[in-house]
Order: sequence, then structure tokens, then C-alpha cells
Amino acid sequence: MRFRLHWSPTSPYVRKVMVAAHELGLADRIDLVPTRVETVVADVAADNPLGRVPALVLPDGTTLFDSLVIAEFLNETGGGTLFPRPGPERWRTLTLHALAQGIIDAAIAIVAERRRPGAERSPAFVAARQAEIGRALDALERNIPASTPDIGTITVAAGLGYVDFRLPDDAWRSSRPRLAAWFAAFAQRPSMAATKPPPA
Amino acid sequence: MKLYFAALSPFVRKVRVAAMELGLDKRIELVTVATTPVAMSAELAKVNPLGKLPALVADDGDLLFDSAVIVEYLDALAGGGKIIPATGPARWRVKRTEALADGLADAAILVRYETFLRPPEKQWADWIAGQKQKVAQALDALEGQSWLFDDKVDAGKIAVGCALGYLDLRFADLGWRKKCETLGRWYDGFAKRPSMEATKPSAS
Repeated sequence: MRFRLHWSPTSPYVRKVMVAAHELGLADRIDLVPTRVETVVADVAADNPLGRVPALVLPDGTTLFDSLVIAEFLNETGGGTLFPRPGPERWRTLTLHALAQGIIDAAIAIVAERRRPGAERSPAFVAARQAEIGRALDALERNIPASTPDIGTITVAAGLGYVDFRLPDDAWRSSRPRLAAWFAAFAQRPSMAATKPPPA
Repeated sequence: MKLYFAALSPFVRKVRVAAMELGLDKRIELVTVATTPVAMSAELAKVNPLGKLPALVADDGDLLFDSAVIVEYLDALAGGGKIIPATGPARWRVKRTEALADGLADAAILVRYETFLRPPEKQWADWIAGQKQKVAQALDALEGQSWLFDDKVDAGKIAVGCALGYLDLRFADLGWRKKCETLGRWYDGFAKRPSMEATKPSAS
């Protein structure tokens, strides 16, 4: 069974799905349909009315989104362990995912703010998103994730990779040495190397 | 359990409706917080570093967010598979619907923030138009989905109901029912459920 994935090389939500696919041994069953941020709504709208990547198209034409739903579907398809069964471990993993997703959402919001015409940018809004990212990173530093891949740790890694990619001036490592070490180790995984965004 | 709560949030409402449908609402104590994207509640930030609602503190002290996780947790607490099928195509349809409805609500909230929280000179017309397009496309995708009318309540339908309720609350002049008559009929029926009535927001 093959799948089509609406894809972009720089989207952290796409990266999360692709890291999961690599970890599950499913990456070579996914045909990538590239799109760009300028055209994503028009390109993807037929398969995801929200006009967002990633969206996965199954052989019967069913479409799946968002990235968490796709990742869980791939995990079930591949018989993986990226999503623990219902119980405390699952809730911790999914809450870690939500925390990391919040980092990504805030970073994307900052990037979107920069794309605005100059006069329409709001420094207060950007500062609030930066504070969100900072608090989330502090929470991770206090409670370092496991070294094994699951949907929580994969999303933390995709989020940190995106902060490095789009917000290179954010010196997040300086006050968070343990998280920096965690990310340096996790980034060595072949799934992470295979999905690294191209140079900005 | 303690649920961090704001009366007008469609995502908090989703959790409350789910809890009532699962018969768990009596076990949930609501903790009211006032928070916006630029004025974070300090109390909430202690629980959820992102400062977002809803967040749940379980009886064992475990902390859960976001709304999709909390709904799944409540479903498991009620025995599992009640409003989210455990596996297979039925699960993906419910989860996809929840993601679509949450995305609709997200886009509507972004329009609301843009026009309500930003001074007029910092609002971006193209951005607002883009978010409104997402709302319109999501509504079109929900229109005519016959399974909405089967008699089973699930997390997807609950999310759709709460997203549409948010549109009626904040964008009463949108007139979405004109183009989406069938969806409107479904919503008017769903909104009469006691769980929806009990959690109905009012912008007083």
C-alpha cells in the first residue's frame, strides 16, 4: 500500500510525520507531493480544506490530517510503538507532544509576523510568542525527555530543529544545557538526518 | 479533576461537552482563568507553560493538555471507545473530523484576535482573508456529510458542534447557514443536546 503526502521541505509539521515514517520503516511507501508556502492553500485545499501541510492521501482517496492524526495512522499501519497504549504513559507522551507543538506553533506565528508589511507587525505579539517558547523550553530543561523516539520526543526534536532553522538568533542552548545535549544526541538519528531542512 | 476553564473557548467547551456525554462532568472542578495571547494568566502558565486553555489536572496529579488529549483521556476514563473508536478507519474519521473542526475554530479565533486584540493599524487584511477562506472551505467540507446525522455522538461531532457554536458567538453575521443548509440543520439538532445547552457561551 502506498500513500501520497502533501509535503514541504521546511514545515516542522511535515518533518514530524516524516521522522515518524522513517522510524517506522514506512518512508519509502510515501510519495511526496511538494508544495510551497505561497501556493499551499491552493495546492492542498482539495485534500485538506484547511489548506495546510501535511495531508496524507490513502489509496482509497481518504485524506488524513493534521500531523498528529497522520503520525498515529502511520504508527498503527507500521505496528509501531510511537504512541503508547491508553494509560499514564500515553497521556504523558501526548501532553509532551502538545507542549512541543506549542513551540512550533509559536515559532511559525513569529515567522508569519515577519512576513507582514512592516507597519502591520506587532512587537508585543512577537514578544508574547517568544515568551511562550521560552517557558516551554524551560519546562523541557526541567524535565528532559526520554532518548527513545515516540510522538512526544519526535515533536520536541522537530520543534527545536525549527527554532534553529527559522529563529537562529534564539540562543536557547545557553540557559538550557541539558536540553541542548538531549537534542544533539537525538539529532544523530538517521530519521532526523534524512529530514533536515535545506539551508535557509 | 481540575479543568482550567474560560466560558467562551470552543476548545474548553469541547472538553466539557465530552465530559457530560461520558457522564464524567460531576468529577470535574472548573478553575476559571482569564488569558489572552498577549496577556497570559500567570496561574495558567504554572500548569501549562504555553498558557493555553484547556488544561486538566487529573486526580493523580498528572497534567494534560491540549483539548484532543484531554478528550481522549476522558474517553479512556469512561471505559474507552465511547466517543473515539479505538482503532481503524472509524478512528481516523473521527480524528480527522476533530482536526478539521479544531482547524476551523483556530482560524476563526485568529480572525477574532486580529480584529479584537490588535490596533487597527497593525491588522493585516490579507491574513484575515486567508483565515476566513479556511473557515469557508472547512464549512464546505462539512456540508453534506451524511454521517453527521447518524445517532452516535463522537469526538468529531462534538468538535464540529463547538466550532460552529463559536462562529455563531463571534461571527453572527457570517451567515454560514445560507450556503451550508444541511450542516445548519444538523447543528440546530445537535445544539439541543443537554451537554451543548449546558455549555452554551454567551458574549454578555
